[in-house]
This record gives sequence, structure tokens and C-alpha cells, in this order.
Amino acid sequence: MSKGKIAIIGIGEVPTRNMPERTHWDIIYDTCMEAIKDSGLHKNDIEGAISVTPQAQPKIAAELSFGKLPEELGLKGCKDAVSVNAGGASTSNAIRLAEQWITSGIAKAVLVHHVTVHSTIPIPDLINFFARAGVDLQWEYPYGTTYNIIMGLMANRYMHESDCKPEEMASVVTALRSWAAKDTNSFFYGKEVPSVEKVLASALLNTPLHKRESNVLGDGGSAMVIVSAEDAKKMKRPAAYKLGDSVRYFSGTCVMRDFYKVAEGFVVTAKEAMAQAGITKEDVSLWNCYLAYPLAHPLIAELLEVAPQGMGGKYFLEGRMSFGGDIPWSSIGDAPGRGHTGSGVSTACYVETARQLMGKAGERQVKNCKYVYQNAGGGSGFNNIATIWGKEI
Amino acid sequence: MEFDMTKPVPETQPWSEKFWEGTKQGKLLIQVCKDCKSKIFYPRKFCPECWSGNLDWIEASGKAKIFTFSTAYDMVEPKFTDELPYTIAYVDLEEGIRMMTRIIECKPEDIRIDMEVEVVFQERGGYFLPYFRPVGKK
Repeated sequence: MSKGKIAIIGIGEVPTRNMPERTHWDIIYDTCMEAIKDSGLHKNDIEGAISVTPQAQPKIAAELSFGKLPEELGLKGCKDAVSVNAGGASTSNAIRLAEQWITSGIAKAVLVHHVTVHSTIPIPDLINFFARAGVDLQWEYPYGTTYNIIMGLMANRYMHESDCKPEEMASVVTALRSWAAKDTNSFFYGKEVPSVEKVLASALLNTPLHKRESNVLGDGGSAMVIVSAEDAKKMKRPAAYKLGDSVRYFSGTCVMRDFYKVAEGFVVTAKEAMAQAGITKEDVSLWNCYLAYPLAHPLIAELLEVAPQGMGGKYFLEGRMSFGGDIPWSSIGDAPGRGHTGSGVSTACYVETARQLMGKAGERQVKNCKYVYQNAGGGSGFNNIATIWGKEI
Repeated sequence: MEFDMTKPVPETQPWSEKFWEGTKQGKLLIQVCKDCKSKIFYPRKFCPECWSGNLDWIEASGKAKIFTFSTAYDMVEPKFTDELPYTIAYVDLEEGIRMMTRIIECKPEDIRIDMEVEVVFQERGGYFLPYFRPVGKK
């Protein structure tokens, strides 16, 4: 992928909430129509439609993968439709596919979207899905592991090596929720930002993870319209240009994931993506990290050299990554702040990256937002995809 | 609301059955490649290093060190709630293999990274899962 071939020119999103009365198709209509209107294009200009596959929702996943979206929305110019599934890395791959369609001439404008409605999934089905997805059924599942435990394993090792304190870890929640409280699309919009003491006083689920350090499932959806960078420039509208993309694969099975290889992967992908974009870390206006759990944020802040080694937790505790702090970081509050919409959290992160670069983030707008680092990972962390987006090309 | 409360057993592959036969006999087996000498975990159909099918097994010492751990107190699957609290760990075997397991016969608050542990097998549904306990705990 070379520099500056595509740009996001339209975005749409609905608030993340538990609203069983709001159906999948309600959300699809609202997000996709908003994104297309925001792009300034006509609905019939959309020549490709890509769905980020909803997890644990087989009915809507089948409808989307069998091509219903262009028909339902009346996208008369649509030449093709597809669903993409790589868990939390789906959106990154949907954008890559859009880039391929645009650069090969298959489509001039591509709609990428995601929808999830958790609130109507029977709880036993939800538990059954999330207990097994991304967990090896022979070498991990029989021991009684969970995503929370996998995160606890990583966090305990990090705390052992870095001497990061529980209050520093807890402060990540405070930071993420400080952004979420200002975000109308967040599950926690307008809600009290929990203090470090309150996070640590919540029930211990598994060491070192407290209840307030885990995720709340929600319903939601978002969409974006992508065109060539050249067309975006001609349209003279606010846009987010994709400038760099780098990825490393780690492992599908959690226990096979070498912690140091993962750390190296985060370092290398950031450097490669920034080199493609022709920028350095000092140029990054917003570190829009998607890590699903708060406990990984201090480590990643260190690996990205945003915080010195061993100082990641301290930076969060000092409020430097909070809303109003000097290091804009995960401005939708990642999954703990937004509410977890499965693979949709990464779609929402990319939409937020575009929103910030377009200057449409309202109260959360990062000043002089010129370049954004946006990462994503799939499954329980089988890879890391680092991308750089810019306000201009 | 009905939950499946059946305790899960390992979903095996033909090439991993020898491992589980070993655990029934109190042996922790490690697959090895006779061509490139790699030690392989988890067991594969072909060596992941050189794609040789010339594979064999050696018995591990059963001694390991805890790389990391997490003790669960809540929010596990309903089928595991009767076992709470329990500790999941990654342990590094002397043979250079890392595996997921449970740490038992030890208070959760006494468990430490780098603690020396040894294998002990626990039966579930006809399978013997390799768990680990602090060394010297009989």
C-alpha cells in the first residue's frame, strides 16, 4: 500500500446504547445514509459496499454477506457487495479492500459500515460465542479461561516487569471515560467519570482486572464513504487521507503469543506506517489506539514511545492522556469508553479518526489535528495493524 | 435462562491424541521433529518449522516456572463458577515449551511469577488435564 491513494470523505454513526427496539436495519439505514449525505455524493454514486461482519449475529451476518445492503438502501450504482471478517481487524481490511476496488477501477466510491445489536442476543448464546471465539478449544478453553483472564495474564506480566501500580492501571479507565463522557455516541456520554479509587473499589473479576476495567456490551453502528485521494482533493471537502499501513501477525492461539514479539510488532508497525506517511511520532496529533481493554494502554504508550519505558501508567495517572491533557489519546475512549460493539469498535475508531481530521469532533476536537495514528487488532490479539491518516495529502 | 453446564473437554485432533494418552499415564509428552529437532507445542500434523511429517514424542520433566498468571474470582462461564476462585497461568517448561494451565494446591495470594511448579494431572470427562502445583507440594 503506497502513500495517499484513498480518503474518507463521509461519516455516519448512531449512539452506542442498549436499545433492543432499534433493529439492525434501523442502524444500517441511519449510519449509511448519514455517511453518504456527509460525503456530498448521491446514493447512486456508491459503487461498492463492504460490511464489517457482525459477530455472534448469524442472521444479519448472512443477510449482509449475501448482498442485501445495496438493494435495501437503493444503491443503484453499486457494482459489488461483500462482508469482511477478521474480528477487530475487519475494518482495517474493509478499508484495504476499498482501496483495491478504487485503485483497480472497480469502484469510485465505496461504503464501509458496521452494525451490532447485542441486546437482542440471548445471554446463553452471547456467553457461548464470546467464551470460545479466539480461545483454543483444546489447549485453553478446558482450563476455564476468558478474554478477561487473557487480559489479566498480559497485565500481570507487564506490571511485574514495569513495576506499574494498580492505581496507574486504574487511571486508564478514568482517562478513557473522560473522553467518553464528552462523546454523544458513547454509552457513557454525560455520565460521571470514575475516579481511580472508584475503579479499584469495584469487584475484582480476575487479577488484576476490576469490574470497571472490563467492557460493557452495547448496540451501535457506524459508516464511512471512501473515494480516491485525487477525487477527495477535487471535491474540496474535509477528508481523512490514508497515508500509511503496516501489519504484523502474532498468533491465533493466546498461549502461543510471544509477549516480546507482540511488543516488537507494535514498535515496528508504527515505525513502518509513519515512514510511509513521511512523518515522525512528533507529528502525530492524536494516538487513536484501539486495544479493547484499558490494561494494555500503558504498555502500548511505552511501545509507541509516547511515554518513556516504565512511565506509561504514570502518564495516565497524571491525566496526560485524559480529555484536556497534553497527549490526545483514544478520543472515543476505546471500547471501555464507547461501549463494546464487537468488531464495530474499530469501525467507530476509524470514523473518529476521520471525524477529528475533518474537524467535526465538537467538544472533543483535537486542536490542529493534522495526523492520526490509528491501530486495530483482530481476535484476542492475533495481529496489529498500524495506520496513519492525514488531513491533507 | 438455560446455560450449558457441561464441563468442556479438549477438542482433540488425530495427531494430538498421543498427548492425551500420555496424560492418562501420568506423562507430559512433547512432540518433537526428528528431522529439524524442534520441540513442538501444541502438537501438529506436520512440523511447523520444516513441514516434516517425521514426528516423535519425548517425555517432559514436568518441571516449569510461572511466566504469568491471573486468578479468577467472578465473571467466568457459568459452567466454571463452582470452581471459583481458580488461577490460570502460562508456565514455561524446562524443555522450552509454554502452555496454559491451572495452578492448584496453593493459595491464590501465594502465587508468584517465576514460581517453580510441577505437573499434576486432573481428570475431567475421561481426559487428564495437566495442572501445575508448587514444587515439593505432595
